[in-house]
Amino acid sequence: MKNIVLVTNNEAVQGKYGDRLHVEYLPNASYVETLEVVRDRIHAGHKLLTHPLSGSVKPNETPYKTVVLTAAPQALDFDGVKIIEESIASAQKFISGRRTPIWTEKVKADFRLVDCTIITTAIQSMDGKYIG
Amino acid sequence: MRLELGKINITDVQPGEVTKVENGTLYVNQQEIIELALKDDRIKDVRVEFARPGESVRIAPVKDVIEPRVKVSGSGAMFPGMINKVKTVGSGRTHALVGANVITCGKIVGFQEGIIDMSGPTAKYTPFSETNNICIVIEPADNLETHDYEQAARLAGLKIGALVGEAGKNVEPDEVVVYETKPIAEQTAQYPNLPKVGYIHMLQSQGLLHDTFYYGVDAKQMVPTFMYPTEIMDGAITSGNCVAPCDKVTTFHHLNNPVIEDLYKRHGKDLNFIGVILTNENVFLADKERSSDMVGKFVEFLGLDGVIITEEGYGNPDTDLMMNCKKATDAGAKVVLITDEFPGRDGKSQSLADAVPEADTLVSCGNGNVIVEFPPMDKIIGTLDYVETMIGGYEGSLREDGSIEAEIQIIIASTIANGYNTLSARMY
Amino acid sequence: MRKLRVVHYINNFFAGIGGEEKADIPPEVREGVVGPGLALNKALGNEAEIVATVICGDSYFGQKTDSAKETMLEMIKSHKPDIFVAGPAFNAGRYGFACGEMAMYVEKELEIPVVSAMYRENPGVDMYKRDLHIIETEISAADMRNAVPRMANLVLKLAKGEEVGSPAEEGYHERGIRVNYFHEKRGSERGVDLLVKKMNGQECVTEYPMPVFDRVDPNPAVKDISKVKVAIVTSGGIVPQGNPDRIESSSATKYGIYDINGMDRLSADDFMTIHGGYDRAFVTEDPNLVVPLDVMREMESEGVIGELANYFVTTTGTGTSVGNAKGFGEDFAQKLVADGVGAVILTST
Repeated sequence: MKNIVLVTNNEAVQGKYGDRLHVEYLPNASYVETLEVVRDRIHAGHKLLTHPLSGSVKPNETPYKTVVLTAAPQALDFDGVKIIEESIASAQKFISGRRTPIWTEKVKADFRLVDCTIITTAIQSMDGKYIG
Repeated sequence: MRLELGKINITDVQPGEVTKVENGTLYVNQQEIIELALKDDRIKDVRVEFARPGESVRIAPVKDVIEPRVKVSGSGAMFPGMINKVKTVGSGRTHALVGANVITCGKIVGFQEGIIDMSGPTAKYTPFSETNNICIVIEPADNLETHDYEQAARLAGLKIGALVGEAGKNVEPDEVVVYETKPIAEQTAQYPNLPKVGYIHMLQSQGLLHDTFYYGVDAKQMVPTFMYPTEIMDGAITSGNCVAPCDKVTTFHHLNNPVIEDLYKRHGKDLNFIGVILTNENVFLADKERSSDMVGKFVEFLGLDGVIITEEGYGNPDTDLMMNCKKATDAGAKVVLITDEFPGRDGKSQSLADAVPEADTLVSCGNGNVIVEFPPMDKIIGTLDYVETMIGGYEGSLREDGSIEAEIQIIIASTIANGYNTLSARMY
Repeated sequence: MRKLRVVHYINNFFAGIGGEEKADIPPEVREGVVGPGLALNKALGNEAEIVATVICGDSYFGQKTDSAKETMLEMIKSHKPDIFVAGPAFNAGRYGFACGEMAMYVEKELEIPVVSAMYRENPGVDMYKRDLHIIETEISAADMRNAVPRMANLVLKLAKGEEVGSPAEEGYHERGIRVNYFHEKRGSERGVDLLVKKMNGQECVTEYPMPVFDRVDPNPAVKDISKVKVAIVTSGGIVPQGNPDRIESSSATKYGIYDINGMDRLSADDFMTIHGGYDRAFVTEDPNLVVPLDVMREMESEGVIGELANYFVTTTGTGTSVGNAKGFGEDFAQKLVADGVGAVILTST
């Protein structure tokens, strides 16, 4: 699966896939900042492969987000632009005006797990299938 | 396929020597349940507690809700592919203990979520404040991996639901409802002048804590398929979704799918209910294209004049919802969507994460971002850790005295997007 | 129970001072009622009375917004109001902007209930409906006698802390706020009802309207732009020095077409920006930032584009109603086509 790249702020994803796939790991990025990097990549021609708002844990509830894109830039993917913009707007809507939750280490570990598992099943879904 | 659903009304639940139904009271042998659950060595400890309507009881964190049912006649057994053989279900006769539920509780992940208050101002948001609940509080074996724990809790709930359901096997039901859907050619011919309607049922399929199963198959791995509506009444679809309490479709809600019930009510009168198209909500975008194309194909293939579409979840599934809406419309059907909304705390932001012009007829199941007050309750079933935070809550939302300030998002099935509740939202 | 004190805001026209030629008058305040305040006072009945009226020219407010707001806040404050009413502005865009801005400002600073009234196409509605109650009016002042009682009714409710009903009940523009309630029927039943109606071609009302998709399908891509005459169109408010046609800084009611024959770039001596929606400093120094004549000329001389039209079309985008913008486009598009223009570069800000 050399033709995909993972953009993530989740160290569990970096840990699991860092060696075998392209992973753009943003250790200090917030949820929205991670989505903004995804947007930058989409603007540069990388095609969006997974939905940025995956998972039912809302953007203000978890700090972690992983998104998969194609590794090689191509022609601009307009659908991807629409999806990422709507996702950022949606995330900001949830986060604005709310206090950050108390994230204990145990809770963060669980959020990392959920994000990592969701992206793992998505990657498995892609295996062998046409990506372009 | 023809199913007779025998409804046995339960008005109370009590502990008893033998699990049985007598004069509307469900007696439950707690020990039997505990032993059944502990057969799975992934489970270390189990408590069985009761919660009845009107009691000052808070149940948290809720994982799944299962209505006790049993196959009396007809092929297969409850929850095929999960706890029983995969035989096709949905025909013959099934009894249901209506007004009683098995509720699994357990802290699978640190971010606890899912509350049911049996009384007080927030009870009206969940249907389970009005049922007699058998709460199974599950504690996992030490260091049990999260996936294993989720599965163990899920299967325990189904097994216990089936076990308790057995109590209804030989009881004369208070009401028998007959549901019948014929094979497509016959069904079409039965009401040639009525519009043909299908129900597009979207199943949550994003991953851990976000799964649904059809005859035991993970919906993630399905391509859209077609189902007789009565199959769902025998547990062909079970829930592995235990995140985002408000729009979680519990196994109870699958068994009692309101769209299927309400379409049957008008079947033969002003519509011809042809059947159910099952599809999923995968994270991989190409899967969404594939699934929605196939849904559109089914609509065309079956010659449907109208469809209702329901979803489970927020954000990612909204994109599937819109794709299905567009492609069903393009295939020539009139489309009605049912969904819940998240317009932000002030109610002013975009309610859905996606939108298409074809989504011009939509039923709203309410705004999940509204903040409500939960008064303290005398008894907590499960656990309400004061140290950790709750989903839908935030620092300070859980107070010393046991009261809570949180969004209605945190109440089980409060805004469930299949139209089960009467909660809605309007524009001001 | 003393009468609640109301301060009323109106513009130069409704104050009887003058029309467009007096749109640049600075803020002033008068005791008691002026103009439509008379009707408003009557509608308020015994519970409230207008103690003062603040007046400002629409252009003045548009161009010197911050200072106008400050000045008027002091004027309003000094009368110790319990209530503030702005307008009705009907379809006047700059007036709607002024009403909305003043109402928001007064509500924030003085924490008193406020209300305004506008016609649905007034850009002020889209701008402020989320944050303010704006009574819906017809297009012109002929609707005064319907608008005023509704304004009075609503603002008194707000002042007394009474529950405000739905837009249909109270007559205000839908604010776009989603409010929960329990229906008699469950959602699935309502869904089946709607489906049957829809299949039978009957009217069915959605419970959640989708955002407006007012899209224009793009034309197919230009095949070879090196053979095409290109024109520049902008909503960035670039006009000749002195703004000879008096295009507004916001809520534009007109557009201009200006000659660029023989120019390699726009000179700051000849051109200025009147756009009220962005910081003008950079563009005042170099108008080519909004109308990129310098780059377009280069492209013309290098043969990248076939030819550059010798004029550009301009207006101000901010606060301009969709209706007006559509009208302008339909209008000057005819000229562009007649002049053989094959493609347009549209700059916005």
